[in-house]
Amino acid sequence: MTTKLFVIVAIEVGRDHKVPIANQEGMIFSHQVLPMVSLSRSNAANSRHQDKRGVPKLPNIIDDNDVRVKIDHSVNAVLEYVGQVVPIYRGVEDEAVEIFWRVADCRRIRREGTMASHLIHEWNGIHQFPPATQNKLLELLGELKQENVSTLTILVMGKGGVGKSSTVNSIIGERVVAVSAFQSEGPSPVMVSRSREGFTLNVIDTPGLVEGGYVNNDALEIIKWFLLNKTIDVLLYVDRLDAYRVDNLDRQVIKAITDSFGKGIWSRSLIVLTHAQVSPPDGINYDDFFSRRSEALLKVVRLGARIKTQEVQGSVIPVVLAENSGSCNTNGSGEKVLPNGTAWIPNLVKTITDVVSNGSNAVLVDKKLIEGPNPNNRGKLWIPLILAFQYFFVVKPIQRAIKQDFAKESMPLWELRDMGD
Amino acid sequence: MASNLIREWNGIQQFPPSTQTKLLELLGKFKQENVSSLTILVMGKGGVGKSSTVNSIVGERVVAVSAFQSEGPRPVMVSRSRAGFTLNIIDTPGLVEGGYVNDHALEMIKRFLLNKTIDVLLYVDRLDAYRVDNLDRQVIKAIADSFGKGIWSRGLIVLTHAQLSPPDGINYDDFFGRRSEALLKVVRLGARIKKQDVQGSAIPVVLVENSGRCNTNDSGEKVLPNGIAWIPNLVKTITDVVSNGSKAILVDKKLIEGPNPNDRGKLWIPLILAFQYLFVIKPIQRAIKQDIAKEEKPLWELRDMGLSQRQF
Repeated sequence: MTTKLFVIVAIEVGRDHKVPIANQEGMIFSHQVLPMVSLSRSNAANSRHQDKRGVPKLPNIIDDNDVRVKIDHSVNAVLEYVGQVVPIYRGVEDEAVEIFWRVADCRRIRREGTMASHLIHEWNGIHQFPPATQNKLLELLGELKQENVSTLTILVMGKGGVGKSSTVNSIIGERVVAVSAFQSEGPSPVMVSRSREGFTLNVIDTPGLVEGGYVNNDALEIIKWFLLNKTIDVLLYVDRLDAYRVDNLDRQVIKAITDSFGKGIWSRSLIVLTHAQVSPPDGINYDDFFSRRSEALLKVVRLGARIKTQEVQGSVIPVVLAENSGSCNTNGSGEKVLPNGTAWIPNLVKTITDVVSNGSNAVLVDKKLIEGPNPNNRGKLWIPLILAFQYFFVVKPIQRAIKQDFAKESMPLWELRDMGD
Repeated sequence: MASNLIREWNGIQQFPPSTQTKLLELLGKFKQENVSSLTILVMGKGGVGKSSTVNSIVGERVVAVSAFQSEGPRPVMVSRSRAGFTLNIIDTPGLVEGGYVNDHALEMIKRFLLNKTIDVLLYVDRLDAYRVDNLDRQVIKAIADSFGKGIWSRGLIVLTHAQLSPPDGINYDDFFGRRSEALLKVVRLGARIKKQDVQGSAIPVVLVENSGRCNTNDSGEKVLPNGIAWIPNLVKTITDVVSNGSKAILVDKKLIEGPNPNDRGKLWIPLILAFQYLFVIKPIQRAIKQDIAKEEKPLWELRDMGLSQRQF
C-alpha cells in the first residue's frame, strides 16, 4: 500500500492560534489524525540544519512572506516547502492574528518521495457492530448507492460537552476522535473518512460553539475555513436529552450557525439528543419527556434560524436519540437500544439517509458563503443619486441663502469707513 | 400582627427510620450548642436541582419543580420547626440566564434576605456536567461580590444527579473527585480565595440524588452509587460547616447596597479644591492680566476708546 498523505489542518501562529492552511489552488486538506504544525515567528534562533532524524528543516522566517514550519514528529510525515509561503488573507494586523497562508508548493517527503493525497481508511469499524446493525447499515448504504450517492459528508456541531465526539466515534465504530469528560475539545475540526464498497463517509467533528456563556466566534471561523470547498450533505446538531433548560444562548448558537452557512442548512439537518439512556424526572414518562425536550429545542431552532411557520409544514427537522456510553442497554440481537426499545444506530443512519433524500440541496461551502456578501456593495447604486439630491436640494439652496444674507446685511459705520464707502 | 408561619416539620416522618434517627441526633447536637435555628440559602445556575434538593431536605413538595420551565423569579423561604429547632431554607431563582449572570435575580435575592442571617450557603450544580467554564466563575464571583467573601467559609457544594453511570473509562469515585476538583478550582478563582486560606478549610462537596428512582439500602435509606446514605450525609456536612468557627452572614442594608461610592476619598475634596485655587486658577488669572496690560491695541480700537490722536 503506498503511503498517502498528509494534511495539515491547522498551523499555529505566534501564541497558540491555529489557522487552516491551503495549497496553491486554495484547497484545504484534512487528515484524520490532527498533526500540529507550528509556525514560529518568534523562533528566530532556529538553525538551518537538519534535525536529528535527518529531516531537512525549513528556512527561518525572514520577512512576512517567509514562514518557518515545524512539524510535530508524532505524525510520521514530513513536509517540505519549496518556494515561499504567500499570504492570501490577512485578518487583524497584530501578533495574535488569523493569517491564512497559501503554501506555494508543498510536497511530502519520505523515503519513497510519493505525492500526497487524502488518506481514506476502510470502514473497519462497521464490523464491530452486531450483525443485525451491520445488515441494516449495509442496506441503507445500498439504497444511497442506488440513488447514485457515493459519498456523504456529515457535519457535527453543538455546544461543548454534549457528546459530539462520542457520537462520531459511535457512528464510525472506533475511537477516532479523542473524548475527554473534563477538558474542552481541541480548537480545530477533524474530518474522519471511511469507505466501504465504493461508498465514502466523511464525518466532521467540530469544537464546541459555546465558551463561557458566549458563542465562540473563533471556533466558527475555524470551522468555516476548514470546510472551504467542501459540500455538507447533513448537519447533526447535537445536544443532551437530559438538559432541563433551553435559553437564549441556544438561540444564539443556532443563529450563528444559520448566519455562517445559510438558512438552507436546516433543511439538511437533524437534531441528535445524547445521554438518551436517562431516567426521566419524577412524574414524566420517557416518551413525554423526549417529546417536550424536542419541542422546546425545535422551537428555539425555528426562532434562531428564522424559519417561518408555513415552511415548517413541509418538513420538520427530525430529532434522533443517541446513547454513546458503553453501558447502553442491548436487545436480544445485541444491538444498542434506547429505553423505548429502538436500536439507535440504525435509526440514526436511516434518518440521515431520509434527510439526504428529502429533495433539498446540499450546502456547498464556497468562499462567497464564508465571507458573506461584500458590505461595500450594499446599496452602492444609490450613492450617485443621493449625491445629486444633496447637491441640488441642499447645497445649492444653502449657498443661495448665504448670498442673500450677504446682500441684505447692514454694515456698521466703521466697516463702511474701512471699506472706503 | 402577621408573623412568619412556621409549620411543624412533618416531612421528617416520611424519611425511613434510620434517616430520621440520624437527623434527630444532629438536631440534638445543635441544641446542645444553643443553636435553635438554622438558615440555609440555596443558590446556583438554572435547572441544576435547587428546588428538588429543598424538597428532599424538607421531605415534602414545598417548592414547585418543573423540568422545562424556569423557576419563579422570586426566592421562597420554607420554615419548619421540630422540638424547638427551626429550619429555614431559602430557594432562589437560577443565577444564569441565556449565557449571562442574572443580576436582576441577584438583586431580588439580596432584597429578600434583608436583615436575615445566613448560616449556610448551598451552591448547587450537577454532577453530570462535563464542562466548567468562565460562566461558572462569574456566578461565583457575583455571589462573593453580593454577600462578601466570607460566605464561602460557610458554603458547601451540592452536586445533584448523583445516581449516574460515569463516562466510559472512569470509575464513579474518580469522576466525582475530578468533577469536584474542577468546580472547587473555579470557586477559588471566582471568590478570590487565596491558597493559604484554603489550607484551613476546604469547601466540602456533597452528592445528592433527588429523584424518586434513587436506590435504597436495606434500611430503606436513599443511597448513592458509592453506598452512602446521602440525606443524613448532607445534613451532617451542614452541621459541620456551621460549627467550623466562621461567622454567619448577616445581610444588612450596608451589605446589600455596598459601600457608598460617594464616600470614597471625600476627605480629599477640600484639599484638591484648595490646590486648584492657589496653584492653578490664581496663576492663570495673573497671566491673563499681564497679557492684557502688554497687549498692543489696533488703531480703530484706540479710536473708539477715545485714546487715539489721529484725525480722520
